[in-house]
Amino acid sequence: MDRPEELMLYEYDAGVDKGHPGAVVFPQNTEQVSRVMRLASEHKIPVVPRGAGTGLSGGAIARQESIVLAFARMNKILEIDVANQRAVVQPGVVNLELSNATAQYGYYYAPDPSSQKACTIGGNVAENSGGPHTLALGVTVNHVTGLRIVLPDGKIVELGGKAQDSCGLDLTGFFVGSEGTLAVTTEIIVKLTKLPEAVATLLAIFNTVEDAANTVVAITQSGITPAAVEMLDGWMLRTVEAAVHAGYPLDAAAVLLIELEGMKEAVEEQAAAVEEVCLRQKGREVRRAKNEQERQLLWLGRKTAFGAVGRISSSYYTQDGVIPRTKIPATLAEIERISKAYDVIIGNVFHAGDGNLHPLIIFDIRDPKQVQNSRKASKEIMQYVLSMGGSITGEHGVGMEKMSLMPAMFTEDDLDVMLKLRNTFNPDSILNPQKMLPETRPCREITGPLPKAKVEPVAGVPA
Amino acid sequence: MSTTTASSLERELAAITGEAYVTHENRDINGVVPAMAVSPGSAEEVAAILKLANDRGLVVAPAGGFTQQQMGGIPERVDILLQTHRMDRIINYDPGDLTVMLEAGITFARAQAKLAEHQQWIPCDAPNLHAATIGGLLATGASGPLKSSYGNLREYCIGVHFVTAEGRIAKGGGRVVKNVAGYDLMKLMAGSFGSLAVITQANFKLFPRPGQTCTFACSFPTLDEALAFRDRILNSPLAPICMEILSPRAPEYLCDPPPAHDPDEYAPVRRIAPPATAWQIVLRAAGSDNVLARYRRELGSAVTQEIEGQAPSEEQFWRWISHFSGSVLSRHRNALIVHTHLTIQNVKPALQALERCAPDYNFLPAAVGRAATGNLVLAFVPLAVDPPAAMQYAQCVSAFRALLPPGSSAVVAQCPKEAKVYFDVWGGSATDIEMMRRVKRSLDPNNILNRGRFLV
Repeated sequence: MDRPEELMLYEYDAGVDKGHPGAVVFPQNTEQVSRVMRLASEHKIPVVPRGAGTGLSGGAIARQESIVLAFARMNKILEIDVANQRAVVQPGVVNLELSNATAQYGYYYAPDPSSQKACTIGGNVAENSGGPHTLALGVTVNHVTGLRIVLPDGKIVELGGKAQDSCGLDLTGFFVGSEGTLAVTTEIIVKLTKLPEAVATLLAIFNTVEDAANTVVAITQSGITPAAVEMLDGWMLRTVEAAVHAGYPLDAAAVLLIELEGMKEAVEEQAAAVEEVCLRQKGREVRRAKNEQERQLLWLGRKTAFGAVGRISSSYYTQDGVIPRTKIPATLAEIERISKAYDVIIGNVFHAGDGNLHPLIIFDIRDPKQVQNSRKASKEIMQYVLSMGGSITGEHGVGMEKMSLMPAMFTEDDLDVMLKLRNTFNPDSILNPQKMLPETRPCREITGPLPKAKVEPVAGVPA
Repeated sequence: MSTTTASSLERELAAITGEAYVTHENRDINGVVPAMAVSPGSAEEVAAILKLANDRGLVVAPAGGFTQQQMGGIPERVDILLQTHRMDRIINYDPGDLTVMLEAGITFARAQAKLAEHQQWIPCDAPNLHAATIGGLLATGASGPLKSSYGNLREYCIGVHFVTAEGRIAKGGGRVVKNVAGYDLMKLMAGSFGSLAVITQANFKLFPRPGQTCTFACSFPTLDEALAFRDRILNSPLAPICMEILSPRAPEYLCDPPPAHDPDEYAPVRRIAPPATAWQIVLRAAGSDNVLARYRRELGSAVTQEIEGQAPSEEQFWRWISHFSGSVLSRHRNALIVHTHLTIQNVKPALQALERCAPDYNFLPAAVGRAATGNLVLAFVPLAVDPPAAMQYAQCVSAFRALLPPGSSAVVAQCPKEAKVYFDVWGGSATDIEMMRRVKRSLDPNNILNRGRFLV
């Protein structure tokens, strides 16, 4: 595909960065990917692999004139091996479709990003995606046992397989989350997880954000590991309620959406224990979904939160910081302060159980003052997160968006080691150039020849 | 190394760590005695030592509790044994956050005791935890029966600090439980057997320690029936924290060794029930009385023995399983121990291969292992009369490996060093070895770390 109007469709992801591809290629199999990579390598043309474009950090966006390798046609589930609890899939398989396909056997694919109806397993592997239910079950890397990859020079390589692990270096684990900067994944072996016998979904309602935040800490300490603990603050839940009518209380300051899974005896006991903790921590009320329909409705609110915000504001920016869980109350108070100081609306909807914050900063892109303030607010939140010993990204990835923040988290030596490893597999940086690892630092002995694409200043992003 | 350079090296090392921490150790690695040993007290000292070694092309072997140093190939030489035991602090433990930051040289048991004060733990039950260090366990990818449900340290290591062979101090990850900033260097270090860098610190996500557990042993006349039972459990709502398979001869080693005689003369005093033809699946369940009652209901008559929760005998039983290979070796010092990496369904052909190969080469077979993850510990016990020759170890290993389905790997964890010259203890891997070599070259270009001992 190379007509300009078609290429425009591939300029975006779900975040705020943009980039215009030179061409979009739709390979059908590993061999074709290998040939594209060989060609690109020979001519030093940058290549950017792309799944569904639901990423939030620009990982799948082209730097200028790159080839976008789109996996829309490599979307087959190649094998469902129930006896070994594995599935073999092509990278373009949509996350939720895999779970739907395995449900008949009593299994599902556990990592569940909010975009799971659209996002692809290949993209999940690149970003090491999380989701609400990763609290108990782990993120993508805990569910991938094998990869077939194509190196920039076109070489096809197998890492791991269907076994839980193998002898030697764990390169499968290392490649997951490498954001398409080491190789292109063309086949993925994932673990399948048994569908739980029982699920309890609770909605705990609080009069203050602080009480809700303290409850998260108390649940963590109680010795129960829920499958998910999600939090929505008052502004968020009113916004969501207006969009999808999930049944959230409009006057609450915050709610926690807590899910427990497993054997029915264990789930009943844990649900009772969690309810007690919530009420002890000044929870106003704890509701429990009576059936699957009510449960889906509660989750619908959570999973469509970003869409709901989109209804009221065309411009918003989602942060993705992680803090130690004990610091949630203090951090939410700080976000509140920052919101007031810069006069911007900041909604909070996030994976509280993991300490993975998603402050949503709302601004009007036509108002330069607001744009500027939102950038400042975002930066200040990140500074606070880092000062708490946190991380700049829990699940969205570094991509283009957070490359400049990497030196705030890692030393020059840390980054040099990472760069060295990248150059080992992707020496000319033709694969997903200028992502994740900042290269404008004063470099030491390494870095291959610069790729053809030039760095574009990124418009509209809070720096 | 000549004596003059040795003593000048000694002085240079002493300049880094202080004289008291440069010593000569008698402990050997597969028969090779390190020229000298040094015990740095910080990552900076580790960096200075590695820089020195890298400049001179000296071979370094990192060492923690020395519990797994005999794994791997025979080193051509070891110039410096780099001991981590002085770096043994708990840097940060936040019970409310369920995370801990540990220096590499702390013994696992000490760290775990601290966590137990808050009913939390690192769910790892590898052998020798009183001596083994956290850095050593991470580097060797060590695990025990709990791997069935919790995975190994790799799954919950959230940050790692290390020094590269060139003496560069670096880190990956952090102290939060979810983090995708930068490459996942934790995965790279876990199971790298000290071949890429020296680990100086590791951070972990913790878990609540189960309050109550109970163990159910189920006996079956054949391997097929035992594995059919395993599959039934895998497809049921039950979620045991451990699920072990025990071969007919395994129970002989799940008890204290008899009073020490000559280890070559060992014979069991009495057979331990059940009879030596039965295969067992042993489950450990955690939960409330109601949950355990459910297990009893579902397992029904399959249970041949129940070891009640909290009884010291239950802890002891699982400790024996963890220590299975040590228990075999304490009775038969020339035993061959193999660790497998298999798919769930390949547990069967692997155990059949063990039972078939062992007698052909003058061994008796015994096995325990994680029936749900394919991580088996296989013991080839040499016959007391007519024990196998060194070459027969090699033949036995290759015959065994040849019987494994593709995609499996079998690592020889222990065998007499005389036999190691005849075969590769690591065998093949499902992961491309050339890719591993690339990583090795990028972090240790002069191949000074554990040269000749690991796969790469």
